[in-house]
Amino acid sequence: MRAREPDVQGFVNRDGLDLGYEVFGDGDGDGDVTVLLMPTWTIIHSRFWKFQVPYLSRYFRVVTYDGPGNGRSERSTDPKRYSADSYAADALAVLDECSIDRAIVVGLSLGAPYGLRLTALHPERVAGLVFIGPALPLTPPSPERMDIARTYLQPYPADVKGWGKYNVAYWYDHFEDFAEFFFGQCFNEAHSTKAVEDSVRWAIEGGPEFLEAEGQERPASSVTTEEMLAGLICPFLVIHGTDDLIHPHSTGVEAARLGGGSLVSMGGSGHLPNVRDPVAFNLVLRDFAGGLSR
Amino acid sequence: MRAREADWAGVIDRDGVEIYYEVHGDGDTTLLLIPPSPITHSGIFKAQIPHLARHFRVVTFDGRGNGKSGRPNDKTLHSRTENVNDAIGVLDATETDKAVLVAHCHANWWAIELIDAHPHRAIGWVAIDPGVPYLGRPQQHWLDTAATFDEMLEDPQGWELFNRHVITQQHRRWIEFFFGSLLVEDHSTKQFEDAVSWALESTGDVLVAGEEGADFDPPSRAEFEAMVREVEVPVLVIHGTEDVCQAVEKGVALCEETNGEIVVIEGAGHLTLAREPVRVNRAISKFVKKIEGKVVTHATWTRGLNRRKKALYVSSPIGLGHARRDVAVAKKLKTLRPDLEIEWLAQDPVTRVLEAEGETIHPASEWLASESEHFVSQTSEHDLHAFQALREMDEILVANFMVFQEVVEEGLYDLIIADEAWDIDHFWHENPELKRGSHVWFTDFVGYLPMPSGGDREAYVAADYNAEMIEHIARFPRIRDQALFVGTPDDIVPETFGMDLPKIRDWTEEHFEFPGYITGFAPPSERDLPGIREGLGYPPDEKIVIVTVGGSGVGRALLEKIIAAYPLAKVRMPELRMIVVAGPRIDPTSLPTHPGLDVRGYVPELYRHLSVCDLAVVQGGLTTCMELTAARRPFLYFPLRNHFEQNFHVRHRLDRYGAGRYMDYASSDPEAIADAIVAETGKVTDYVSVEIDGAERAAERIAQLI
Repeated sequence: MRAREPDVQGFVNRDGLDLGYEVFGDGDGDGDVTVLLMPTWTIIHSRFWKFQVPYLSRYFRVVTYDGPGNGRSERSTDPKRYSADSYAADALAVLDECSIDRAIVVGLSLGAPYGLRLTALHPERVAGLVFIGPALPLTPPSPERMDIARTYLQPYPADVKGWGKYNVAYWYDHFEDFAEFFFGQCFNEAHSTKAVEDSVRWAIEGGPEFLEAEGQERPASSVTTEEMLAGLICPFLVIHGTDDLIHPHSTGVEAARLGGGSLVSMGGSGHLPNVRDPVAFNLVLRDFAGGLSR
Repeated sequence: MRAREADWAGVIDRDGVEIYYEVHGDGDTTLLLIPPSPITHSGIFKAQIPHLARHFRVVTFDGRGNGKSGRPNDKTLHSRTENVNDAIGVLDATETDKAVLVAHCHANWWAIELIDAHPHRAIGWVAIDPGVPYLGRPQQHWLDTAATFDEMLEDPQGWELFNRHVITQQHRRWIEFFFGSLLVEDHSTKQFEDAVSWALESTGDVLVAGEEGADFDPPSRAEFEAMVREVEVPVLVIHGTEDVCQAVEKGVALCEETNGEIVVIEGAGHLTLAREPVRVNRAISKFVKKIEGKVVTHATWTRGLNRRKKALYVSSPIGLGHARRDVAVAKKLKTLRPDLEIEWLAQDPVTRVLEAEGETIHPASEWLASESEHFVSQTSEHDLHAFQALREMDEILVANFMVFQEVVEEGLYDLIIADEAWDIDHFWHENPELKRGSHVWFTDFVGYLPMPSGGDREAYVAADYNAEMIEHIARFPRIRDQALFVGTPDDIVPETFGMDLPKIRDWTEEHFEFPGYITGFAPPSERDLPGIREGLGYPPDEKIVIVTVGGSGVGRALLEKIIAAYPLAKVRMPELRMIVVAGPRIDPTSLPTHPGLDVRGYVPELYRHLSVCDLAVVQGGLTTCMELTAARRPFLYFPLRNHFEQNFHVRHRLDRYGAGRYMDYASSDPEAIADAIVAETGKVTDYVSVEIDGAERAAERIAQLI
């Protein structure tokens, strides 16, 4: 059973694809504030916000939706559906469908560049921006992940280990094993069995073909990440685990610096502090959103 | 002693009326604290100023008619406009462009008129227990007494004392009735005494003029309500539900009309700022920080299992005795829990001991107001009214608790060890939601005992303090996780906590554990004595008398008396040599000298000298007396007069050990002292042995919590 059922559950058709969205609460608690919890890498879907929704929706209107490769949304293998511009357009369509003028946009990992693009294109729709463990090319990746870009589309060796499994061919052959490895890295905190199990289950609701499509879309944007961050005019918060193995803590520090935002470091946390440290995370997020409601 | 002195102060002249003001701190945002004069003055904010001044710049002043300001008798000089212009004059004199106004009671009427007339001077308004017209329901007793204010009443009683003739002719009677009525909370004796004494700095005539001036040329209801609605600055109302001066409905209405926020304090009367200082301080600073809009840009939260084990040790700074025993306990605790980090929140003179021991002192320690200096300031010739000094320390205790609370909220301590850190234990019971970490409470006495010289009033007040403590523990047993009495049940005085209250021993045995006495060191064995004496330069054929009064400046009178006795004793005991230790606060060269008498400023490791002397002459402090008891040395002790702990608790304990000879300072002349010196020097003692494993036993109990 979910701790909190949605008040509204619907689909918005954006450019031929049905996107599933959910709305929780009416936002009347602390003023009329909406929090939009963005999708992230399509290996999981909107249920990864499950520890945030019941709490935040007591204070704010909370909107979640699934991207075009997982959850309740229609699947697409068209790489163009996975660009930051496309994600920004999806998010905008959800806001329009729900008649929401402005929202606090919260993006984790790949959700960060999607949220940043949305903010850059439509600043009037974004009341505040929150990144968690942002996937932004601001600092070098960890040494273990250095080779991914080179080997990602290559055949994988028989004795492939570790980040070598981050490989399209391997995904098609051993998707669940890859997911277990990947989420083991995401949840590097001790005692994370449940978090890994949840995430692997959500991963197999999607599939390798969608991750492959998402991975192909790497267009050179006309604006750089640095420029978009420098152009932020809304309140901005970065939350980053100090022990994040997917995107290093230094990336969050740099993002906060470039965007003139606040930084909350979560000592000892990995890539998804919202899952592994939900209480501290929820309090920080509510504090930020509540401060924007007056 | 005040918890915080003004950084600077001044006086402005407002058409012949002097207005005294003070500036505290140098934060970016200024708060103007406006007292409701002339019934009180800026003293009413004494629990707020030290805390707020650490975060903001605080300007306050004595309103006309009280404190260090002028006392106009003419009612026209007490109009609201004059009072508003005083506040503006103070802002100008302190070069304050804009301020958050913080006002109590009817000073809030001035605040709103200030905002109305000078909108660019205010950036926020904190209305504490606000007295503003029209809003909310009026108090019936004010309506009734307004009708009889000018009448000559036959036998005025109760609120009828609010009467021109009573106030001008029986000022104190009205004041005592008024503040007695306002302080609806139990255990308010100190707040009552403060409020009455401030009110009586003014006169009944001035108070009547103030009352009349306040109501000059009042606005109509519509005008006033329009003024309230036009307030554009953020508003915070703080109001007690049991306020009999200004009904809480006033505050609620003010909050609604100004679109502000409100902190309602359930069960509090009219003096929330004095009676619930912690809650009020936190509400004000949170509100002003929000106005400042300064967001914390970098914060770290650490996962529970990633945290290091940390303890904060808070050692009472009144005297040095606690420092030594606390260091002994900390060292034992570290051997039991090697992964435990201990930080100390401490002040001089404790920090001297800690620095010498290489302990870690928390940097916020420098914000603490000095409890030790306060005690010195309360002492006159061999006289320290310890209970009254503790009561007078209320302002310092609030100030230091606010520092402590910020430290524990930041520091994520697992354990708080408080050795007679009264502020922590008291205010965590008063504000139980603020508790952070396990709390270990240490004390070597339980129960305030009245001195006979204090009469009925002191007996009542001491019992009231004891009753409050007993109620605290009964209501919130979760605040103290471990309560350790430094000693054994036999050390507890055979007294009660006061009329209708339990026996101290029964109650303490029920609520404390008893690790035994904690000495900071192991006393030398008889076998080692000659060697140690020789090492310290004391020949075997001399009788060594050491006179010490500890580290405070309190002991000069006693030293002089003992020195006067020396030649008388020396005649009868030629081998007598006397070492007088003046301590850091008494100039050794200012004391008389005799052949065979050494006066020294500071003696390192004094306890080693004491442990081999032939006689010690000391005050009645527990630590030194117990060191001598543990070392089995003969000693004379002179408890400070009016010091309940030295005269009752310590004396009882020494009697149990059969240790030392009690001397009454007042009745002992040099001859009597010389007699005692000759009789006791070199005497073989038969004291009950002092336990030497107290630190270890205490540490074992504390270690269970971590």
